[in-house]
Amino acid sequence: MKHEDRESDAAVRAVAERLGRAAAERIDVERTAERVLARLREDARRVRRLPRWVQPTALRIAAALVIVAGVGLVVRGLWPVPDRPVAAEPTSGELSELSVAQLRELLGAVDRPAADQDVVLAQDVGLEDLSEAQLRALLASLDGTVERGG
Amino acid sequence: MPDVEPAAAPPTDRALIAAWQGGDERAAAELVRRHTRALARLLAGAGAPEAEVDDLVQETFIRAFRALDKFRGQCQFRTWLLTIGANVLRDAYRRAKRAPVVPLATELAATAGDPHDHAEASEAEARLQDGLRALPRLQREVFLLRAQQGLEYEEIATALGTTPGAARVHYHHAVKRLKERMQ
Repeated sequence: MKHEDRESDAAVRAVAERLGRAAAERIDVERTAERVLARLREDARRVRRLPRWVQPTALRIAAALVIVAGVGLVVRGLWPVPDRPVAAEPTSGELSELSVAQLRELLGAVDRPAADQDVVLAQDVGLEDLSEAQLRALLASLDGTVERGG
Repeated sequence: MPDVEPAAAPPTDRALIAAWQGGDERAAAELVRRHTRALARLLAGAGAPEAEVDDLVQETFIRAFRALDKFRGQCQFRTWLLTIGANVLRDAYRRAKRAPVVPLATELAATAGDPHDHAEASEAEARLQDGLRALPRLQREVFLLRAQQGLEYEEIATALGTTPGAARVHYHHAVKRLKERMQ
């Protein structure tokens, strides 16, 4: 640090040391002590007058509970709560309620082989497998799609 | 010649705090007597209007006594008290913003000596106070605790919740800006 820097630092410091000295000297220390004690006594009286549940510790616990509840509400408001699962409507059609004929029909439907149901899997079919009529129908349906999209 | 008993050493702040916590009002009064002037100097130096210094001192002591359970002796009681005083002053400024009060910048005390010298001294103090008001809070508090109260950086850092290195940097920034103001 340069010499002149040290000097100017010392000058600032010297002024700072004087700051507030006069104001501090004018304070009546005894009177200040009496007033502080009077306020502390008043504090103590006020705390004694409070019902037990309003004592500082109880107030702190109550404040903590309020904060926890508040945070809970906020989180609940921000967090998307999944819809409550809806209980399945009880079905009226129990197996025991079906007639013998209905049961036979149901068993027949379950036993029927997939080939009987004319199901053709898309990956098994190429354009060359389609008949002329089917190709025309396909082209017509594609034209319709293009027209609707256009 | 009768033996003269050596005067008992005055009780430490820590002992007075313990006594007050045990219900001894005299201990609280002694703490107020010990630290009132240092606290008043800090408040006045930081720009508190002189008419309000007494009230601010009382408010600081009340807050300190109410919070004594939190004082763990991490720094001196006086240092802790001074930082509470700085907070009290800041709160007072916030309130004053709603109802502005013009702070008295200059000391008006009549003292013996050359009036011309005193006028110069007052002017320098007024300029320093203007400069202090323009500083960021931490710089101002570190500067006052160091330059006016003569505290060590370690003590200041503990009281303000920073490091001694950071306190040193704040102090040097403050001095640099204050010198510019005062030239």
